[in-house]
Amino acid sequence: MKRIALLLVVLSLIFVGCAQKTVQTAPPVSTTGTQDRALSDEERARIAEEELARAERDRLSREQERLAGILKDVYFDFDSYAISGSELPKIEGVSSFMKQDRGIKMVVEGHCDERGTVDYNLALGQKRAEAVKDYLVKMGVESSRVRTISYGKEVPAETGNTEEAWAKNRRAHFKIDQKG
Amino acid sequence: MALTLACIMILAGAADAKVYLDVYGTTFKKITIGVPEFKGERTDKSTSEMSGVLNRDLDLSGFFITAPASLIDKELLNEGIQKTEVNFNSWRSIGIDLVCKARVQVANGELSLEAFVYDTLDGSMMLAKRYKAKPSEWRRVTHRLADDIIFAATGEKGIMSSRILFTAGRRNLKEVYLSDFDGQNVTRLTNYRSITLSPSLSPNGKYLAYTSYKEGKPNLYVSDFDKKNEIFVDRSEGMKIGTAWMNNSTLVYSHTSGRTSTIYAFDVGSRSKRVLLQRDGILTSPTVAPDGSKLIFVSDMYGTPQIFSKMLPSGEVKRLTYHGNYNSAPSFSPKGDLVAFACKVGGFEVCTMNADGSNQRVLTNDGSVNDSPQFSPCGRYIIYTSMKGGVNKVNVMLFNGENKRTLRFTDFAEEQPKFAP
Repeated sequence: MKRIALLLVVLSLIFVGCAQKTVQTAPPVSTTGTQDRALSDEERARIAEEELARAERDRLSREQERLAGILKDVYFDFDSYAISGSELPKIEGVSSFMKQDRGIKMVVEGHCDERGTVDYNLALGQKRAEAVKDYLVKMGVESSRVRTISYGKEVPAETGNTEEAWAKNRRAHFKIDQKG
Repeated sequence: MALTLACIMILAGAADAKVYLDVYGTTFKKITIGVPEFKGERTDKSTSEMSGVLNRDLDLSGFFITAPASLIDKELLNEGIQKTEVNFNSWRSIGIDLVCKARVQVANGELSLEAFVYDTLDGSMMLAKRYKAKPSEWRRVTHRLADDIIFAATGEKGIMSSRILFTAGRRNLKEVYLSDFDGQNVTRLTNYRSITLSPSLSPNGKYLAYTSYKEGKPNLYVSDFDKKNEIFVDRSEGMKIGTAWMNNSTLVYSHTSGRTSTIYAFDVGSRSKRVLLQRDGILTSPTVAPDGSKLIFVSDMYGTPQIFSKMLPSGEVKRLTYHGNYNSAPSFSPKGDLVAFACKVGGFEVCTMNADGSNQRVLTNDGSVNDSPQFSPCGRYIIYTSMKGGVNKVNVMLFNGENKRTLRFTDFAEEQPKFAP
């Protein structure tokens, strides 16, 4: 019965939105079990695991939603790496996010639309990423915390050859630097 | 290459007769050629397809109108291949200038092709050749015949036996491939399951340069085919793209990082690099004239991408393009007299100009994105990509923009084609 109680504690912890580290202590519970109660314990453990996985998924998607609200794509005009005034608040938002959590490092990806030549777009994407990085640094983010990568027109956000798709593809995209 | 192809001239001097087509004139009239199905007791699929492949090659060359099979009646079809057996009046009466007669035989595991090309006007023999090869190499033999017919008619060999280097793939997955011109023998040269771009082979074919994202960012590498190893050219921050070789061991590439861009010459032997040019903003697509005398490149120093030249080693920078707000992707003709490039005139079109920037011509006109023009080694063709329905495909045309044809290699989108040395 102690184990069931422990499971209940774990489950209740999940439901109140526990920290990730508490969640990760749970798995050993599911691997143990006495012979006579094995079935129900296993069953319960499986349910517990599913709950844990779902909670983790929810947490990740909430985190992604939260990040998406902060890390918004910065859009550019055709063949331009000048940041228009209307896009600046997006970069300012990222800079305050980075200043709040000094452990975070950022990758700025530069992208282009499908028009234009392959080589020139690769260079243009680099300039777009650098322009965004420059503004982050100007806002007080340490240069060493921001990397830039150009993808030219290789990784479009939208397919299709419409002005709408092109406009969405001419972008600088923020990504948390997982390499730290 | 493993191809053991014996090529025997039956009649010495048959090919160095008059040049039928002066293709460097402003205009020329295409020659109408009839290629009836090849003779031969063997009727297996591959050998009966040979005349079809030859017709396709001659059409692709841009110098011939190939007579449709329906034009050639039974009587003409049943003629022998020897000069005395050919009724030249009948061929001439249906508008045929040249007729190609051939016989295929397969004996003792060897394919032999005997081919004659006659001028129907006077019955003279323009070409007489015999080829021997393995039966499996029937396509290559046919391409060789096509190139020899093109040589006999125009004074220069065709491109049907050449190979094409290109990238192919889909979003986030792109590899470098090498293929025969006809789309056979497609070989994947890289397998990084990443984005690999801008491949370029050294003139001797020993080195392949490319930019790959396999380490998470675009780095520039050279593969050494002899030593089977990989050389790191540049792994610093920023975008590195190698677009051309100056000679067998020197790669020219551009690096954009921070405020500036730099064009480097990298020596594969010593693994050292030297700066050819450094500027604020974008410098890209560097390429060097075949005689090494000058560098051309793209820069946005006046606000939009334009093409510039610089005499090497230390001449002044001269602007070559003024028309429109987008001129990019330059490449030299093998003689160095012409530069092919892409310009924006509504869509992105393939253009040529003289190496000093004069005499600019727009060669494509479909309003889509045409990119990466490169001359054939003979200088008579330009290979490039054209976007159809959102997918890039490799096209080839004559250097004057005539005779555009789409080439097929893979089922993927294909980009950045080059004739392999």
